[in-house]
Amino acid sequence: MEINAREKEDIVIFDIEGEIRRSDISDITLHQLVKDQLDSGKRNILLNFQNVEFIDSFGVGEILASYISTNNLGGKLKIAKISKKLYLVFQVTMLTKVLEIFDDEEVALDSFDKE
Amino acid sequence: MAKSRLYRILSRIIDIKSGEEIIASLLFLYFFFIMFPYYIIKPYRDAKYLYEMGSRELPYAYLSTAIIVGIFVAFYSRLQARISRNVLIISSLVLFTLTCLLSWKLFRNRELTWMPLAFWVWANLVIVVLGTQFWILVNDVFNPREAKRLIGFFGSGGLLGGIFGALLTGVVGKRHPEILLLIASGLMLFSIFIVNFIFIWQRKKNPSIDKIIDKDKEGGSKPEKVGFIDSFNTIRKNRYLALLAVVVILTFMVATFIDYQSKTVIDIKVKRIDEYTEIFGYFHALLLVLPFLVSIFMTSTIIKRFGIRLTLMLFPLILLLCSGGIFVAPIFILAIAIKTSDKTLSFSLNQFVRELLYIPISPELKYKAKVFIDMFLNRFAKGLGALMLMIFLLPIFRGEERPDALIEVNALDRSSLTEKTEVLKKPDILKKTEGSPLTDESEAIDRRIRRVKIVSGFSLFFILIWIFFNLKVSKEYTRTVKNKLTIKWDRADRMVAEKLDVDYTKLVFDTIESRNRSSILYAMHIFDLIKQDKLTPEVKKLISYKSDEVKVSSLRGLFESGEIALLPETDEIISEDVLEKEIGEIMSLDVYQEVMKSYVENALRDESMESETARMEVAKAIGLMESESPLAEKLGELLWDESPEVSKYALESAAKLRKKEYVPALIKKLFNPITREDASVALEKYGDRVIGALSDYLSDRDEDIELRKGTASVLARIGTQDAGDCLMWELEEGKGEIDTELIDALDRIRSEKPGVQFREDIVETKILREIKKYCLTFIKHFGTKSKRKKAEMTKGLPEELNVSLMNVFKLFGFIYLREDIMRAYQNIQVGTKDSVDYAIELLDNTLKKEMREIVIPLMEDLALDERVKRCRNCLKDFSRPNRKNA
Repeated sequence: MEINAREKEDIVIFDIEGEIRRSDISDITLHQLVKDQLDSGKRNILLNFQNVEFIDSFGVGEILASYISTNNLGGKLKIAKISKKLYLVFQVTMLTKVLEIFDDEEVALDSFDKE
Repeated sequence: MAKSRLYRILSRIIDIKSGEEIIASLLFLYFFFIMFPYYIIKPYRDAKYLYEMGSRELPYAYLSTAIIVGIFVAFYSRLQARISRNVLIISSLVLFTLTCLLSWKLFRNRELTWMPLAFWVWANLVIVVLGTQFWILVNDVFNPREAKRLIGFFGSGGLLGGIFGALLTGVVGKRHPEILLLIASGLMLFSIFIVNFIFIWQRKKNPSIDKIIDKDKEGGSKPEKVGFIDSFNTIRKNRYLALLAVVVILTFMVATFIDYQSKTVIDIKVKRIDEYTEIFGYFHALLLVLPFLVSIFMTSTIIKRFGIRLTLMLFPLILLLCSGGIFVAPIFILAIAIKTSDKTLSFSLNQFVRELLYIPISPELKYKAKVFIDMFLNRFAKGLGALMLMIFLLPIFRGEERPDALIEVNALDRSSLTEKTEVLKKPDILKKTEGSPLTDESEAIDRRIRRVKIVSGFSLFFILIWIFFNLKVSKEYTRTVKNKLTIKWDRADRMVAEKLDVDYTKLVFDTIESRNRSSILYAMHIFDLIKQDKLTPEVKKLISYKSDEVKVSSLRGLFESGEIALLPETDEIISEDVLEKEIGEIMSLDVYQEVMKSYVENALRDESMESETARMEVAKAIGLMESESPLAEKLGELLWDESPEVSKYALESAAKLRKKEYVPALIKKLFNPITREDASVALEKYGDRVIGALSDYLSDRDEDIELRKGTASVLARIGTQDAGDCLMWELEEGKGEIDTELIDALDRIRSEKPGVQFREDIVETKILREIKKYCLTFIKHFGTKSKRKKAEMTKGLPEELNVSLMNVFKLFGFIYLREDIMRAYQNIQVGTKDSVDYAIELLDNTLKKEMREIVIPLMEDLALDERVKRCRNCLKDFSRPNRKNA
């Protein structure tokens, strides 16, 4: 798994590539990366899942932990460009009740402004 | 922002912020130019009435005023709902200026005998309308924090106007009384210009104000109900307004009693008319100057220092003491003391605090209620007070003496020297009751003392009720302020737990993932789903497809796709109880344990990739066995497996078996971010049993800091009183390196289990330490004169300051209502200027005095230099003996 961060109008976007699995973590976790951004004062995080093929329970834990850390500080964490198959699993497991998921990155970015 | 000269002058005497100087001065002048003419009109009104009609006719004046004001309130309420506030205020001022001129003209015609009565009623309408309009404008312009700081200043404008009015009447009234009304109308003309400037200022500050007002007036499709009854119903239906109304009634009723007490005692003491003149001459002069001095120099400081609640108590408590004193010993000095306190504090403090209470009310309710209370209810209360006095004293008066003391009291209760002079010209008012059947003077005095004592007794009773309602209204005020603030966010862990079954979600993902890896793991996951009764048709369909085969665009599409499911037809063969029982029985068989033992040992020895799956299967399978089974012993080894996947299943099984010997391994797993979450979940399942072990690691300074943070998080998940105590103990004893995590863990417990209690002394000490840390960090960053560092301020506070501030508020949430504290914190962090002020106001009414004094100065919207100064002052405070522990 590879994660690259970029910034757009005060929103930190993490482009994630590969699978978020416990066996694929090398040195730093997604949650740690999110926490680093929160520690530097950022409050809006967007996870770009365009190139995420699949996640395991560890990945779910990482996303939820990142979501909790961000929201507890008054920030927002959203997900964009999730694959249809993942979205399906998210729906069945009701993750969509908690996480805001967008088809399009621009729409997701706009949604931060509206709040 | 450049500071104006006006600001520099005003900031020396009042707590004013740059940018507020113009509006504060305009309001000062507005009030000044209302009260200046009023204090000319009022003595002129009394003198004319008393001279031409006599004091015996006063009840007609009171009655007429009550009726006309009642009718006027209904009319004014309708008018207020239809035209904009600006137009209403200016047209009222124009109308009163013109009618004042008209009165001057009509008084020249001596044949108009009804004129004194008409003027009496008119003068009452002037003060009722103009006073109410002034306070409504104050409500429009300021939020509670601003009003608290400035109310003493612009309120003193009115009192100064009163002094000027009284003095001018005294000087001019002797020689040219006929021109007094001309002067009054000229002064009212000034107020029209000033109020116009205020509206211009408002428009500049808030260009949308006209639109808002217009929108308010347009309302919805249904016209808003207005009028006397509707205003009454508005107050009746709103608890806060009803309490406010009760407080106003009690205030004015008690004022009537106090007036009677003081004047009767003075009446007993003073024998001759020249003594009256001397006493009341000085006394009234004092009663004009004292409120002004209190108002400008003390009111805002008192409100700021003691808060709304205590300030509201101050006035009735002083009256309670004086009244109590008069009840015990009706002596002259107490009579003077009670009258001085009444006149001084009712204008300079009590009324101003009462006005502050209206600010957080929504405009539509406020304007309806305020007009009714200010214009009608306080007059009604005065009348009620007088009626009650008559009732209390009736048995004494009956057959003995006429109750003229009441009339005398009213005749004497004039706050201008001129009026005094006018009254004194009519000796029949002040003469002792000649021709009274009582000839024995000492008997008469005894009777008056009895009267005073009775009234004092009732006065004490009503003051106590007043104090009670003041307490109620101040509590309700806090609630009203709180309702002005919205919760911006809540702890997400609680929200996630409420909306989501995280264990189930993870199980579904693991089931899908295992499908590609091992049919055994897959089957075991399905078994888990069956056991949890979560194998719904949707899940069944979803997990039937290999993860990379799920390509359909929607759930519906998936179900309709008609592909062959890979899931066994579980419906037909599985009854969950039977299945669980059978699997349990098989796994507990000695022969099974024996056979599997060698397989497990081989899997543990083999380090190949294929064996990883085997170890995962074993780790998962052990979770299905009894905790005493021989194979369960192998789990310890699997917990230390290098593969995170194996480790994950081992942790899951450990959570199911909950054996004591796994605990150290589970805690150690908190160190690794990959295994941390699974280890936390496993430890959480142990519950209270594991708190001791976690506590050992938490307090071990030699242990890895990440692991210690992890134990704090697990204790928060367990969330019992013992877990809270353990965290609190570490917060007290620790060196501060994991304070943020400890505070967050405690906050999580507090948010999920409000019943868990924390030791207040530890929390308070920690708050002081955090504030000290905040101040030190702030000074470190911004205390220099470096322009670069100052420029950093525009980028926002450094994160460590944000964290420090958040810790302070979380700590407050441990000893106060967490919801209130978080509401205040969130609005201070991300709210508008008004929200920030309301948030601080909420804190001001929630925190204890010593905490309030430290925290609030740091929260206020200040310039950087001023904030640094306050941080330095705060640090100086920490050197005080009672704060040494911080």
